[in-house]
Amino acid sequence: MAEIRPDEVSAILRKQLAGFENETDVYEVGTVLQVGDGIARVYGLSKVMASELVEFPNDVTGMVLNLEEDSVGCVLFGESTLIKEGDTVKRTNRVASFPVGEKLLGRIVNPLGEPVDGRGTVQFEKYMPIERKALGVIQRQPVKEPLQTGITAIDAMIPIGRGQRELIIGDRQTGKTAIAIDTIINQKYTHTEEAKKYGVKPVYCVYVAIGQKNSTVAQVVAKLEEAGAMEYTTVVSAPASTPAPLQYIAPYSGATLGEYFRDNGKHALVIYDDLSKQAAAYRELSLLLRRPPGREAYPGDVFYLHSRLLERASKLSEDLGGGSLTALPIIETQQGDVSAYIPTNVISITDGQIYLLPNLFNAGVRPAIDVGISVSRVGGNAQIKAMKKVAGSLKLDLAQYRELEAFAKIGSDLDKSTQRTLAKGARLVELLKQGQYVPVAVEKQVVSVFVGTNNYFESVDVTDVKRFEKEFLEYVELRYSQIFESIRVAKALNDETVQLIKKAVEEFIEKFKKS
Amino acid sequence: MSVYRVPYRYANSLVQLAEEKNIFEKVSGDGDLIFNTLNDSKELRTVLKSPVIKPAVKKELLETIFAKNISGETLSFLNFVIEKNREDILFEIFKEFNSLVDKKNGVVKASVISAVDLNNDMKQNLLDSLEKKTSSKVVANYKIDQKIIGGFIAQVKDTVYDASIKRQLELLRKALLEDSAIYNN
Repeated sequence: MAEIRPDEVSAILRKQLAGFENETDVYEVGTVLQVGDGIARVYGLSKVMASELVEFPNDVTGMVLNLEEDSVGCVLFGESTLIKEGDTVKRTNRVASFPVGEKLLGRIVNPLGEPVDGRGTVQFEKYMPIERKALGVIQRQPVKEPLQTGITAIDAMIPIGRGQRELIIGDRQTGKTAIAIDTIINQKYTHTEEAKKYGVKPVYCVYVAIGQKNSTVAQVVAKLEEAGAMEYTTVVSAPASTPAPLQYIAPYSGATLGEYFRDNGKHALVIYDDLSKQAAAYRELSLLLRRPPGREAYPGDVFYLHSRLLERASKLSEDLGGGSLTALPIIETQQGDVSAYIPTNVISITDGQIYLLPNLFNAGVRPAIDVGISVSRVGGNAQIKAMKKVAGSLKLDLAQYRELEAFAKIGSDLDKSTQRTLAKGARLVELLKQGQYVPVAVEKQVVSVFVGTNNYFESVDVTDVKRFEKEFLEYVELRYSQIFESIRVAKALNDETVQLIKKAVEEFIEKFKKS
Repeated sequence: MSVYRVPYRYANSLVQLAEEKNIFEKVSGDGDLIFNTLNDSKELRTVLKSPVIKPAVKKELLETIFAKNISGETLSFLNFVIEKNREDILFEIFKEFNSLVDKKNGVVKASVISAVDLNNDMKQNLLDSLEKKTSSKVVANYKIDQKIIGGFIAQVKDTVYDASIKRQLELLRKALLEDSAIYNN
């Protein structure tokens, strides 16, 4: 417990008392007309700005959302029972803003930037408004650097670039958060000296938890800490118990922090987990503010709610420092219904989506990514050349496999080539399975995928594929580490390396013991 | 329905009527009187708000209270309001009316709270500086509240000029607490 020294106190007292005579505090006020359900209508506050923070008694803050002819509609960030009719409301002259700075890394804060991790006040550089206009065309450039998730299936087939917005969508319990957490953990590599040497810039992460259980947030934080990922991560937490307005502003707060890194020429990754809960929170307060409901009772501007948020993800032009802000929004669907209002909206806004299917998940294919309908609309440009080269046929092979899979279940009368396609597909599916919290470096992914697509697994049992991969990668590390080195440095696959991989895999097949 | 628009319309119509008939001075005085009476008597406000009491009774009541002191036009306005079943917002109407009159006269109202009784010099000083700040004529009403310990609080429209000791102490408390926020979590 920190101590306050008496001389410190007297210094502050002296300073305060010195300005006692002439210090007149000028502020503007209004009166609460009506309060309830987290909403207050206020008379007065005639000069208040939209989305300005206002102060209520008992340390409750609020935000102005509706400016009407005779009153002002405010949402409350605290208990509405602490406020009664006739209370005085003070202006703060500050639009809702979020503290930003490097010191926020490693902290857990609420959407107003107040710490919730019990580790004292947050040190910050400045306040930035949580609602900012997204950048225009001139300030941007195409996405061109990869953001490695460490998940082979994604990095090979649905690559994500720095500055992209890639939606993670799926039913409950399909591993959506797991993908996001793995991605954060995989950024640890970008903060090492080694990455610096190869020209990979560090990625700072922001995890925005909206409407989740406090226990889930604690679990995620514990996992990140365990993996040493909290050093470059900030968690913005608006759990289910917080008032709807805080849940509503949480993603904007996260985006603001991400933009701070982006605008300083750094790279940021923001995860919004999840936006369906945020939309529900926004619906709640919109209905309370008596805005007319539309489809599924969401207000008319629910599309704008998400588009203005996700549009803030960007890759800056070189003139502006070339920083980037990557957004990974998460949407939870109900019973696989992607044609509901919010999922269709967010699908249309983002630059691609990763679909997660419960039946794949239950069948043991984890991550349960449906590669058939998952796409990345811009990430392909950002893939490293080596990965582009080896992954080209991967998606095709899997598509063919899925097409024939149905036949395989019916009969045995299949011709040779069909059987080969099926065998290869089954092995590729096996290869793309990956445990949680074990991200794989890109050079290893390249080698694995190369081995898979070039059908070296033909002689290996499906059940042995994972073991083969693991032991082979260890083998390469020991005997042919120049393969990894070459991919890391050149980021491409030259003929020499290809020959070397072929040689290594042929050698290894000889030695591999079947179980 | 808005709690603001209806009183505004009634009040505005009374202002315009008074201007047309050139009895603005008189009617604005009436408005002040009615407002103050309503402000002071909670009973009268309750009676007017009650739907149980018949309009005829309310009419008679208002007539006996005000007939001697106000002009015929104002009285007929009161009757009109009762006829339209809007007597429940009579207080708001005259509140609005007063602010419209103030606007017309270029006057702003200020409420000043002080810990001790202010002498005339102090009052004049305060008014002068408020007039300078708002660049219009200021009419103040004074209240004494010992809870603010010392200094004064002046409110003009939505703006508060707070030079009270109580506020200073509050700010001091906040400044001291800022670094010890850790203990509250």
